[in-house]
Amino acid sequence: MIQLFHVSKYYDRRPALSDVTLEIEKGEFVLLMGPSGAGKSTLLKLLIGAERPEEGQILVQGRSLSKLRPSEIPVLRRKVGVVLQDFRLLPKKTVFENVSLPLLVQGASTTEIRRKVAEALRAVGLDHKKDLFPPGLSTGEQQRICIARAIVNGPIMLLADEPTGNLDPDLTSEIIELFKSINARGTTIIVATHDPHVLARVNRRVITLDHGKVVSREQGAS
Amino acid sequence: MRRLLYLLREAVGNVLTNRTTTLVAVATTAFTFACVGVFLLLYVNLKTMASSLEQDIQVMVYLQDDLTEQARIDIEQQLKIDRAIASLTFVSKERALADFQAQFPSESRLLQGLGHNPLPASFVITLAAESRSSDAMRRWANRTQLIPGISQVQYNQEWVEALAGIVRYIEVAAIIVGVILSAASVTIIANTIRLALYSRREEIEILGLIGASTTFIRVPYLLEGAALGLCGSALSLVILKGGFELFRHQIHSATRFLGVDALLTFFSFDMCLVLMLVGLFLGCAGSFLSLLRFGEGRA
Repeated sequence: MIQLFHVSKYYDRRPALSDVTLEIEKGEFVLLMGPSGAGKSTLLKLLIGAERPEEGQILVQGRSLSKLRPSEIPVLRRKVGVVLQDFRLLPKKTVFENVSLPLLVQGASTTEIRRKVAEALRAVGLDHKKDLFPPGLSTGEQQRICIARAIVNGPIMLLADEPTGNLDPDLTSEIIELFKSINARGTTIIVATHDPHVLARVNRRVITLDHGKVVSREQGAS
Repeated sequence: MRRLLYLLREAVGNVLTNRTTTLVAVATTAFTFACVGVFLLLYVNLKTMASSLEQDIQVMVYLQDDLTEQARIDIEQQLKIDRAIASLTFVSKERALADFQAQFPSESRLLQGLGHNPLPASFVITLAAESRSSDAMRRWANRTQLIPGISQVQYNQEWVEALAGIVRYIEVAAIIVGVILSAASVTIIANTIRLALYSRREEIEILGLIGASTTFIRVPYLLEGAALGLCGSALSLVILKGGFELFRHQIHSATRFLGVDALLTFFSFDMCLVLMLVGLFLGCAGSFLSLLRFGEGRA
């Protein structure tokens, strides 16, 4: 489903990713591990078309991202859910409005929006908080709202960049369980993290990056 | 429909969030447009006055003294079929002398001393509206001068050309001031929109991340710019109308300008609509500039 062939990306001539080749199957749950500056976030940015590689090729569902026109990037992003460490929720919009945004930009009908937002909020266990505003929620709840927004339009893959960076170990477990349940429905999940608690709880394929290079590929037990 | 409502709500939200900036932008834009409006009003009124004065300008076509009656009739026929002429009246030598004596009784003795009537017969001509510009008048006079039997074509060329010159200068000044102040309005609106963009840059990034198209992200800001331009131009028309009525009242009160106030005109309703549309367009242009500067990647 996702294939990277000899991908390199440079910032100010310094390699953020160097000759990365890897393949991720449909429905896989992959952990991207590595210290800060290893190239994890860069890899995720490449997968949503926010950056372009200087060398190599990236294929998502057989389509080369290098050949995407700027107008096609939003179309790609509608198929990809993104979860970030700092949540990126709109503080002046309600939980319902935040979660409905991806559907709104696609032009979904009011009925469809109501149904899908309710489903997504139920999936993260926060359907009773749909009328509240993000600043009134706990950090764990905010991250779950962010996940609801990422899955509301049924993406083919979900990319999470340090999703537990602001959470304590208990909340980390909650979020990981949530990712597992989303993955169980067939969504490919890639989590970039350097949090050992995540590694301990996931037990899936781990790709470790260091200084922009893949240094190890370990297959998890399940 | 829901998307359209969202975009409109966002545009209104932008305006309400940055109330002070918006008010300052509308007021500044209004005064800038009003400055352009003053020149436009001046131009429109001078143009109206010029065409009204042109209507009063008459051209004198003097005939040679030794002309036979048949030759005079031929010239009259030739002038009557000329499309540039609206009306003509023949003034004989005798009539010219009588008019002169009636107008200048104290100087009539001078003519009596000559022993004969030195005043030539003439046609007094009013030109058709489309031939009253100074260029058209000059061309017509040069052409008519060549008709055999005509000794001279005379009109108040200096006055007509001076008036046309003033109108031309005002026109050029209005264009220059208009362009400069329109650019200033665009910049003011562009800066207001840029502030709105920076205050909502995180939201713009989120929208980009979840697959919003560039158009979807840009439309609320374009609408905001259009609304700023429209409100600014509408307010400028209110300011101009107020100033215009005050000026007309002052002119009306001053006896030495008796009747001039009746010649003063404000913009027609259609012209007001056009000016408001120009404001709307300039507002959109300001927004567009800001969006371009803000960066393709984010907006």
